Amino acid sequence: MNWTDVVDLVIKGNNREVEHVLKNYPYIPAIAEDLRKKKLQVLEDLPKYIQETMKNVEKLGGHAYLARDAEEARRIIGKIVGTKKTVVFSKSNVAYEIGLREFLQETGNDAWETDLGEYLVQLQNGWPAHIVAPAIDLTREDAATLVSRIDKNITKDSKIEDIVAAVRKFLMDKYLKADVGITGANAVAADSGSIALVENEGNIRIDSVLPQTHIAVTGIDKIVPTLPDALNEIYVQSAYAGLFPPTYINITSGPSSTGDIELKRVSPATGPKDFHLVLIDNGRLNASRDENIKEALLCIKCGRCYLACPVYRAIGKEWISTKSPYGGPTGVMWNYITNNDPWPASFCMHSGGCSEVCPMKIDIPTVIREIKSRGNRSLV
Amino acid sequence: MDEKAIIKELPAIRKLVYGNLMETYLPFPIDLKASSRWAVEADVPRDTDSIIFTSHMYQMGSMFKNYEKYIPLFTKLGGSRMIASVGSRLIRTDKSEVERSNRILKNIYSMLLKSGINCGYLYEDEPYSGSLLLELGFIDEFMEYGRKLLSLFRSRGVKNIYTVDPHTTNSLTNLKKMIGFDIKFAPYLNAISGTNGSGKFVLHDSCLYSRFLGMYNDVRLAAKNAGIELLENPDVTGKSTSFCCGGPIGPINAEMSSKVASLRVKQLNTVSDSILVVCPLCYENLSEFGNVKDIAEVMA
Repeated sequence: MNWTDVVDLVIKGNNREVEHVLKNYPYIPAIAEDLRKKKLQVLEDLPKYIQETMKNVEKLGGHAYLARDAEEARRIIGKIVGTKKTVVFSKSNVAYEIGLREFLQETGNDAWETDLGEYLVQLQNGWPAHIVAPAIDLTREDAATLVSRIDKNITKDSKIEDIVAAVRKFLMDKYLKADVGITGANAVAADSGSIALVENEGNIRIDSVLPQTHIAVTGIDKIVPTLPDALNEIYVQSAYAGLFPPTYINITSGPSSTGDIELKRVSPATGPKDFHLVLIDNGRLNASRDENIKEALLCIKCGRCYLACPVYRAIGKEWISTKSPYGGPTGVMWNYITNNDPWPASFCMHSGGCSEVCPMKIDIPTVIREIKSRGNRSLV
Repeated sequence: MDEKAIIKELPAIRKLVYGNLMETYLPFPIDLKASSRWAVEADVPRDTDSIIFTSHMYQMGSMFKNYEKYIPLFTKLGGSRMIASVGSRLIRTDKSEVERSNRILKNIYSMLLKSGINCGYLYEDEPYSGSLLLELGFIDEFMEYGRKLLSLFRSRGVKNIYTVDPHTTNSLTNLKKMIGFDIKFAPYLNAISGTNGSGKFVLHDSCLYSRFLGMYNDVRLAAKNAGIELLENPDVTGKSTSFCCGGPIGPINAEMSSKVASLRVKQLNTVSDSILVVCPLCYENLSEFGNVKDIAEVMA
């Protein structure tokens, strides 16, 4: 199957799944509407919410950092991780954005992606083709060829179940050796300093509990006012990704702790002894102050807009995702915010499907038109 | 994605299109007599305060695609107007295409008349809407040209405009927001009544009508009222599932434009071999790959 056939099947499947979810869980659109308001509220005074979040992470016994750009973020995380460590990553677009895995490998660490799709992308030494399903462009044969590099029992004819089992076996060894687990965060609650993560595979749960150090790296745009808002972001993201209810929802509030003796809460307990939250700006604060771009920060990265876009349908990750983890229509906005690159906007056909399917009701075509226009203005 | 080519091409396209528009009200040199022949044949009055505004879209439909082929050449030569005028001699619209656009425009005019709407036409003075500037993201230039356009309409005493295509309707909608374009306008599909039509089609929605101008249901109603049967499939013709004909990317990347068009036709053909469109540019892009009719060809 070629790319356009694959993506056509994915699009049909996603449309049906989302339709089914919204029919069976009719409260989702109202939650999405409320979430939009809450996220806009944060964008009105992002510095205040960053400060509140960091203060509450520290209160929980964790450590919070604000990195202005990718370089500063790598420096902070590099210092926490050190060298010669085994590091397990859950799928994090922000980690891609700042080139974190490569950086940690270059500084002498054994770093592995643990989300199956992302792991295949790592073996491929490529870029994710979709924000939720990174290996969407790989067939069973492609996956088998890649996995045969780490397990000689896998051949081109191997079944999907056998490929998955081989990866599981390989990663289990890494999990048990891991010193550091690095995750992203789907949402960060300012009022509690908690992070919320959604997944289906179970790798995030292991990455965030088994290694003795947990580092969560995410953008300041992920901050929401309260813990219930953070959970709402999880519900909306998974519903519009067509994966609802999600298999696992993880809430992490600081390092592991126990109150079993005299109800005195002490830390650490069984899980990580250290928890670090690294918040990344990298263009987001400026965007929050830019009335014409600000809406892009409402994106919850469900990836639905990709599937409603004719350009993505035609060329997939070749559009943007060979230089940024963000692709599709939202990637045009996010590549501009994080890389100051307006040119992918020139390919927008203003088909308008992106804003039709966006749960956050972001006026994506108007933001893209603004980016297109800024690019054009810069031309002599 | 070849960004270097885009960065090279865009200034040339701007120079060519914007330069031509500010001087002649047209994006490319075209034969104005030929463009207004339909109105001569239909005996459309001049100097009326209500006008039909074709923006030369049906007349230029095929020329747009032809000019796209020459964009790399214009880029090499810096997008000068001299080259554009040479282009006008090289690029001619096929005779049958001219006859087809004449038939469509005469029919649209006749449907408006039948609906009790009397309107005239600006003939050789008819301008282009500027939609190409808007869609390519030349917003400053679009607004500047929009002011010129508004002045022209005002100087001709125009008070009501009936548009015939989504790109022009969208341009005027944006000019209303951006520069306070204050002349009333309406797409002809929303103004006509008592029409008769026939046939069974799958509708390829115009992105602009359905998702930007709130006309997803209006277009269906216009077809249904005329007796045209539209075959629907939620994966193909839904408001959020249908997609572009590829036309707008043509000036930037003709290859991708064709790729999107062929994908769209392949998808539409899973519902029906007969495709109905409501936009001259959708017709140009899709008809290369399938059997396409404009709605004004199947109702009267």
